[in-house]
Amino acid sequence: MLLNLLPHLVNGVTLGLLFALIALGFMLILGLMEQINLAHGSLFALGAYFAFAISAPRLPLPQDLLAAWAAVPIGWRFAAALVFAPVLVAPFGVVLERLMRRTYGRDPLYGLLLTFGIAMVLEELIRAIWGTRDYMLPMPREISGGFIMLDLIWSTYRFWAAGFAILAMAGVWVIVERTRFGAMVKAGAHDPEIVQAMGIDLARLRVWVFVLGTMLAAFAGVVMAPMWGIRPHMGVDAVVPAFLIIVLGGVGSFWGAALGGLLVGLVVGLSGAYASEWSMLSMYLLLIAVVTFRARGLFGKKSVLEA
Amino acid sequence: MALFEAKDLHLRFGSRVVLENVSLAFEAGQLSGIMGPNGAGKTTCFNVLTGRYKPHRGQVLLEGQDITGRSPQEIARLGVARSFQIMNLFDEFTVFENIAIALPATRARGGNMVAQAYADRTLQDEALEILDKVGLAARADDMAKALPYGARRALEIAVALACRPKLLFLDEPTAGLGSDGRARLAELIRTLKGDLTIVIIEHDMEFLFSLADRISIIHWGQVIAGGTPAELKANPWVQSSNLGRLN
Amino acid sequence: MTQPRTTATFTTAMLVCWLIFASVPLWIERVGLYQYLGVEILIFAIYALAYNLVLGHAGLPSFGHGAFFGVGAYAFGLAQFNLAGNLWVCLIAATAAAALSGAVVAAFISHRRGIYYSLMTIAFGQVFWFTAIKAHGITGGEDGLLKIQRLPVDLGVTSFSIADNVALYYFAFAVFVVISLMLWRLVHSPFGRVVKAIKQNETRARFVGYDVWRYKAAVLVLSAALSGLAGGLFAMAQASAFPDVMSLHYSGYVVMMTLVGGGLVSFWGPVMGAAAFFLTRDIVGAFTTAWMLWFGLFFVTLVLFKPEGIAGMIQDLAQRPKLRSRPAAPVTPAEAR
Repeated sequence: MLLNLLPHLVNGVTLGLLFALIALGFMLILGLMEQINLAHGSLFALGAYFAFAISAPRLPLPQDLLAAWAAVPIGWRFAAALVFAPVLVAPFGVVLERLMRRTYGRDPLYGLLLTFGIAMVLEELIRAIWGTRDYMLPMPREISGGFIMLDLIWSTYRFWAAGFAILAMAGVWVIVERTRFGAMVKAGAHDPEIVQAMGIDLARLRVWVFVLGTMLAAFAGVVMAPMWGIRPHMGVDAVVPAFLIIVLGGVGSFWGAALGGLLVGLVVGLSGAYASEWSMLSMYLLLIAVVTFRARGLFGKKSVLEA
Repeated sequence: MALFEAKDLHLRFGSRVVLENVSLAFEAGQLSGIMGPNGAGKTTCFNVLTGRYKPHRGQVLLEGQDITGRSPQEIARLGVARSFQIMNLFDEFTVFENIAIALPATRARGGNMVAQAYADRTLQDEALEILDKVGLAARADDMAKALPYGARRALEIAVALACRPKLLFLDEPTAGLGSDGRARLAELIRTLKGDLTIVIIEHDMEFLFSLADRISIIHWGQVIAGGTPAELKANPWVQSSNLGRLN
Repeated sequence: MTQPRTTATFTTAMLVCWLIFASVPLWIERVGLYQYLGVEILIFAIYALAYNLVLGHAGLPSFGHGAFFGVGAYAFGLAQFNLAGNLWVCLIAATAAAALSGAVVAAFISHRRGIYYSLMTIAFGQVFWFTAIKAHGITGGEDGLLKIQRLPVDLGVTSFSIADNVALYYFAFAVFVVISLMLWRLVHSPFGRVVKAIKQNETRARFVGYDVWRYKAAVLVLSAALSGLAGGLFAMAQASAFPDVMSLHYSGYVVMMTLVGGGLVSFWGPVMGAAAFFLTRDIVGAFTTAWMLWFGLFFVTLVLFKPEGIAGMIQDLAQRPKLRSRPAAPVTPAEAR
């Protein structure tokens, strides 16, 4: 009986890795900024939608161009989506950062209202462009479908998705721990004044961190699209686990985010074993439980999340 | 029995000890001072005494009653009021309302969802009386955020007074004031002395020494000296420290 | 000399608004609109006023208020089908059920503010929404509860049918007037002023002796209850209760209309916001299906550049011709509307 849980476990781990990816992007941004960005989930959603647009475009382009593109093997188109969707979403992140600048130093309520509004606008934009129906991201047969092992049905894509997530996380780790940029980001999160005193343009750093965070969210959106489907309001289902992971794992810890992500992913994945419809709900219930029982003073440094 | 006592307070933030063996006593009707360098733990001490932080060890007693770890609102209701170093005003309220909202009479009716908040003449008179005391009566209808700095400092104290406390804690009330402001503040505190028990955290030695009956010095989270201003002037630590610039 | 510090029972602006609303059924069709629009505006005006207790008045960002509105709608329908076909019973059921929901949520979140508060309200909103969709037996699932009737207004001596849109409009209008008078009083009562103080400085409010948790909880319960009342009216208006009103998207509508109208600085702002929202839907919506996108952009622009909203802009215009150094009038600036 317990063996039946294994595929759900894998599902949970995969979800967890992807949640962790989103949380990492969220966290990098949070380290340098003063506000939580409720629109982060929208970037995730845009990633999925742009991926869809790339692999199966319906743009008003010349017919032969579209036909030529459609003739390209789906594997290449999917790969193109993985690579280029985040790039296409990056400008949205830049714009978002600029807009959020106006709320610095003011009552945090304004930042919340602003990013909430932007999230709604982006959702409406998605609805306006792509409509309200659900979409499925076309995938190469090699990585979709299922296989049987140990008398259980496993989803092939879950493993690929986990692989993509691990790759991306490794990339983030390298950037944060092994590059000058990463060092500046960590320093800036720790002590913005020293960073500025060293002559580093904090404003530009922020923009680049936003770009990185945006691309991570968008990438997660592409990878998750075959698992969750593509719907206009998929954004909120991404921002909540990101926040939850940060509450669990703390701001500023790579492994905190990874482990927190796994925990959340496992809860969602395993609850799906018992009632697939309630798996999303479990995430929200987990948030409520965690925020209720986690005492204040969770973070080492005074965090923007307090009060 | 002292009106207010702290016994052996210990407080840690993470691994950092911020208060160690802090014992203080404030006699009724007296004005006590707390001095010490920046970061010594003076405001933290206030925060423990007024319920913002709970000490890991030690007791806080009000009129012999143990109030350790009680919430700030409970302690406030027992008659302990404080002002803040970084001002905590109701910026969108008028000066009048800043006071009126703090009056016990308003607090008692806090659950009332139908009556007019400040229609009561007695209440209005009470509020204006306090404003008179601090010299803000003329500005009663100004918004708190529009006041000049000195007036905001006065309002900061006035709000604490509005609670009609037995014990008034003032955290660096002269911060940012010029010599005029300081003189006025000293005058005000002198008029309050006697009716109230007052405890002041201050950096300005001259100011504090001219007003206090007793002063404690806190350094590195500990009480390192205490006594009347005269006794302290003779204290070698005070003399040699940066604080000892009084002569 | 002490000056009287009381507020009138209602302002001129409110009175003018009421008169305009009272007259609406007489001319709304002549301007190319329709009676039901008036009903919608009134219902959401009540909802927005209730919502603004939490947002504008207490400064708490609730993004899950749709849950209370929805609970009210469902409770109205369920009461009608299972308790009694009596309008008052059903409306009370709607209000009470929503109040209870508010109390549950308040128990979990009233010690928070800011981002935690908002995320929790989002989470609760989603939980309510999921439950509404999944609990087929009670809520009718995705389709919702259907065939909710407009029950007659039974005043003992007489009874009016409100099956007709105009009659329903006037009933909703009566509720609206009562609620706005109630809330106006509340906002100027000791309770209201304490909540306003808590919005500005929770710390100081605590240190002058107020149990901040209780006030925040109370204001949420109250707001939830009245949102539920609006939901009950909505159930009658739409003849149904469906899960969508509890979705984050729908909760966002009331946030937007409240801020756009000027709820952050004005008592009456949310009413104007509700009107603006629905007029945009019908007028701009006639030109493009993406009207919501435009309204959303308008909302974002206002948050960035003029969070005081429409009411704020009106206040600016009203203050310009007068040179104000010290107000001579006995009414304090905070009450001048």
